Amino acid sequence: MEGQVIANAFQNAYWGFPIALYFWLVGASAGSFVISTLGWVFGVKKYKPLALFASNTAIVALLIVPVLLIIDAGKPYRFFHLFIFAHWSAPMVWGSFLILTYPIAMGFYSFFVHKENQLWARRLGILAIVLALSTHWYTGVVMQLNPARLPNHTSVAPLLFLTGAYVSGIGLLILCLWLRNFLVTVTARVSPELMADMARLMLYGIVFDLFLLGNEFLQMTYGTGEERTILYEVLLGVFRWPYLYLEIVWGLLLPLIILVIPRTRRSLNGVLVAAFMTATGVYGMRIWWVMASQYYQGHF
Amino acid sequence: MADRLYGMGGVSSGKGRPGRKRYAMAIDLRRCTGCNACTAACKTHFDVPLGEWRIWVMETEVGKYPDTKRYVLPRLCNQCDDPPCIPVCPTQATFKHPDGFVLQRYNRCIGCRACMVACPYNARHLLPDHRRDKRNPRNVADKCDFCVVRVTRGLAPLCVTSCTGGALIFGDINDPESEVARTVRDNKVFTLRPELGTAPQVYYIGLNESIADPEFAFLNRSAQLRERYATFKRNSEVGGEMAGNIDESDMGFFGLVRQGLHNFGTFFAEAPKKFFRGLY
Ligand code: SF4
Ligand code: SF4
Repeated sequence: MEGQVIANAFQNAYWGFPIALYFWLVGASAGSFVISTLGWVFGVKKYKPLALFASNTAIVALLIVPVLLIIDAGKPYRFFHLFIFAHWSAPMVWGSFLILTYPIAMGFYSFFVHKENQLWARRLGILAIVLALSTHWYTGVVMQLNPARLPNHTSVAPLLFLTGAYVSGIGLLILCLWLRNFLVTVTARVSPELMADMARLMLYGIVFDLFLLGNEFLQMTYGTGEERTILYEVLLGVFRWPYLYLEIVWGLLLPLIILVIPRTRRSLNGVLVAAFMTATGVYGMRIWWVMASQYYQGHF
Repeated sequence: MADRLYGMGGVSSGKGRPGRKRYAMAIDLRRCTGCNACTAACKTHFDVPLGEWRIWVMETEVGKYPDTKRYVLPRLCNQCDDPPCIPVCPTQATFKHPDGFVLQRYNRCIGCRACMVACPYNARHLLPDHRRDKRNPRNVADKCDFCVVRVTRGLAPLCVTSCTGGALIFGDINDPESEVARTVRDNKVFTLRPELGTAPQVYYIGLNESIADPEFAFLNRSAQLRERYATFKRNSEVGGEMAGNIDESDMGFFGLVRQGLHNFGTFFAEAPKKFFRGLY
């Protein structure tokens, strides 16, 4: 039907850049914790030396999260309502308990890794890795369980979030390790070979992320009119920068190219550039994922 | 208290329960003139802040000049029978009253805005800190509550009493003799976005379904509406709680960076104030 809307209420988009940053931080934390557990939980010996640093990076990233969330709420002093009035059907309540317990478990894990207590490091590592994955799973679920927000309402959401977490966490960790190398003694430095090995793990994540994105793209291309409208907006319209350029080109395709060419994938510079691109590119995904559907829906 | 329903995967009100009230509204669009008396009455009575609405009128022009027709569509919370806003609220601040109202407990709400993201009808808003009367709730979620305070005292909601065309019909739909029950029974009625399964309790007569649609509303904004929307968004930072507001005309690379920094800037600049305003 031909016509135009000439008057309507203006709607705010209530979740924005800070919430996207919060998703990014939870993800980066979970991703770098996965690397931390490779040595002590999964028995990959060469990763043992960086377990403590990776775990501490994850803790620091996660400690910023409650601060962001509390100052984002309209009533910061009421944050404890989440626990005393917990409404169990709300994903946000699941997340609150996860965000509370996950850093504690990581803290204990770090402690036992520091004490080189293999048995307890392993036990706490398993607990913390489950909490890490759940914490990030829940951020996907928070977006997923809104039936009216079409691009978010997909069961791929938690997987997309977890894959983004995995790659951005490794990316962030590689950068932090590189910076750390300037500050520690020669013997404590992490070798470029190990970083290249981490980049290889990141590459698997990038490929899987592209696969998921491809599926999402297919679903939206063959989807309802609303889905196609939103797809246009994220691909070529208002959200082209976060989605197309930042997430796909900058965050996935270019690092993929860098990490498959043998010369660049073995050079430290190549690995660092790919790590930086991936870590920042995932923020693009968080931005459009949080804001695009609100932007679209806000016009109704 | 015991009757309050917080719903996980489905909340039903007093549907078909004899002796139970179940309030609903019918809006006869053939009678609505788009005068906005309902909006004005509601705005003044509830001190609804600038930029927020409990009820508003959406207007659409169909056809090409000179063969045009204007459609008006009053919009408010649909007091859904299966509302997506309730299960996602982490503190049970919003709940379904068995008489049909979806209500808000200001003293529980933490202002997390999950309900606003979940509502498919944009019926919710966050009350800002600057209210005309400081005793009114601030920094918490709010929405149309079918004027529960008036209705429980035997009065009709304000929008209904102020409606100049007599387009708004309100009452107990469980009572087969009530005006609203007869209207809904005897007319072809529509609800908004029925495909979402929210079971809205605001029924429209004469709704043009192809224009009461988010996709239509998105794709067919008038140029003036776009411009006014952009201005509204540029000026609507409320302590970062609306930090998702973007000016769509400025979303190139630099625009994105600028808007991101601006939104983060207000978010962090307002953060310390949040701990001192309105305290708990
Ligand atoms: S219209 Fe929105 S706010 Fe009102 S009951 Fe339905 S989902 Fe909740
Ligand atoms: S803003 Fe308030 S009412 Fe809405 S979900 Fe959060 S706590 Fe519940």
